[in-house]
Amino acid sequence: MLDAPDNGRYRWRMRPAPPEIAVVDLQLCDRCGLCLPLCPPEAIHLRLADLVVDRSVCTGCRKCIAPCPVGALTMVPA
Amino acid sequence: MTYDTDLLVIGAGPAGSVAAWEAKRTAPDLDVVLLERDAVVGQPVRCAEGVGDAGLREFADPDGAPWVARKITQIVFVAPDDTEVRVAERAVAWILDRTRFDAFLAERAVALGAELRVSTEAAGMTCEPDGRWRVRLRGVMGEHYCRARVVIGADGVEAMVGRWAGLDTRVPARDMESCAQYVLAGIDFDPDSIYLQFSDRIAPGGYAWIFPKGPGVANVGLGLVALKADGRNARQYLDDWIARRYPRGAKTGCTVGGVIVHTTLRQTYTDGVLVAGDAAHMINPLSGGGIVNAMKAGRLAGRVATAAIRAGDTSASRLSAYHAGWMALLGDDHLKYYRLKRALEGLDDAFFNSLARTANAILPEQRTLGRIFAHALVRHPQLIPVAARFFL
Repeated sequence: MLDAPDNGRYRWRMRPAPPEIAVVDLQLCDRCGLCLPLCPPEAIHLRLADLVVDRSVCTGCRKCIAPCPVGALTMVPA
Repeated sequence: MTYDTDLLVIGAGPAGSVAAWEAKRTAPDLDVVLLERDAVVGQPVRCAEGVGDAGLREFADPDGAPWVARKITQIVFVAPDDTEVRVAERAVAWILDRTRFDAFLAERAVALGAELRVSTEAAGMTCEPDGRWRVRLRGVMGEHYCRARVVIGADGVEAMVGRWAGLDTRVPARDMESCAQYVLAGIDFDPDSIYLQFSDRIAPGGYAWIFPKGPGVANVGLGLVALKADGRNARQYLDDWIARRYPRGAKTGCTVGGVIVHTTLRQTYTDGVLVAGDAAHMINPLSGGGIVNAMKAGRLAGRVATAAIRAGDTSASRLSAYHAGWMALLGDDHLKYYRLKRALEGLDDAFFNSLARTANAILPEQRTLGRIFAHALVRHPQLIPVAARFFL
């Protein structure tokens, strides 16, 4: 369970579970925060200096994948 | 544990430290707390560190300052085919040492009585019935809370404070520059010039830069829009560019980050909250420069926040003076720069190559930006709609 409030903006929306979701490779991630404002449902957070993708919120839209300067974000089957 | 303060500033970068400094300057009796998530203010550096002379001097005197790495007197534009265009104007700019510069700004706020807490991260915040914000903090003291009348979110590209306060801080992918940069040593260039290269092969949707830190040492980096990229990420583009241009350079440092080349947030304030700097999308969308903008916004935020606290009214309508002040100062200009950026996106490498030849046909001592622009309009009529979008 993620502890950062997201204002409930997207929780109410019913959506089918995405076939794929984003995951972060913390070995590659530089914690620059670039992907946070790119995520439409605000599923990505920095927590205790580690990047976290909230699996229950990610819609699998891929908007965070290509912009990562070090390629730390990839898609995996949900 | 919970402690109370009047003003809580989250993020000790240029926006946050100037906000705290200005708040203590205008209202020495108010309590100001300045938070920094990292253990050291100014580290890691996620910045090319270039700043214009006039803007910098509003806040600090760079002559002989220990936080300056290099004085710059010339701009060199580099075409996609490596043709160099030296602009005649003696532009003065500075390459900072951001680690020292950020520490200098934070120190100045502390000298006026602001309380700086490093290694302390904001983890969320809720509004109390009396209108104050209760911010959850994590740090060396473990988990604790700070209650503040006004919170200034100067937390950079991730902009969590704005998000917690209900502002929409999201960015469309086409307005996010993915950047990578090395500190490259043992390379050959003019240490008094900054170099900017525009090319879809090198940095699609952005540019590559060389910002000298001293003879033979420079910040060498690039920013690109991933939507226009060919599948490589920013660091791979940079590795390829450096392999071609400076194969013998020593990569003594590496950083990556995002630069939001968008217009200012539609709303930069709400009840008891102001957001400033990168967190409020206050970067010049054409140049990608944001240090001076962040300091100007921080100054404005510090002033508006203390006046509101003094007046006992920290409501959104009172704090909206900050947004109006920013838009009049720079925000409205950014709308124009953004339109120009979008118009320039339509021009390709062949255009920039021929533009460089047009510019270099002008005598070097007469090659001012104004004259280059006038010649370009005549020789390259496709620029006319671009110019129209900027000036109309």
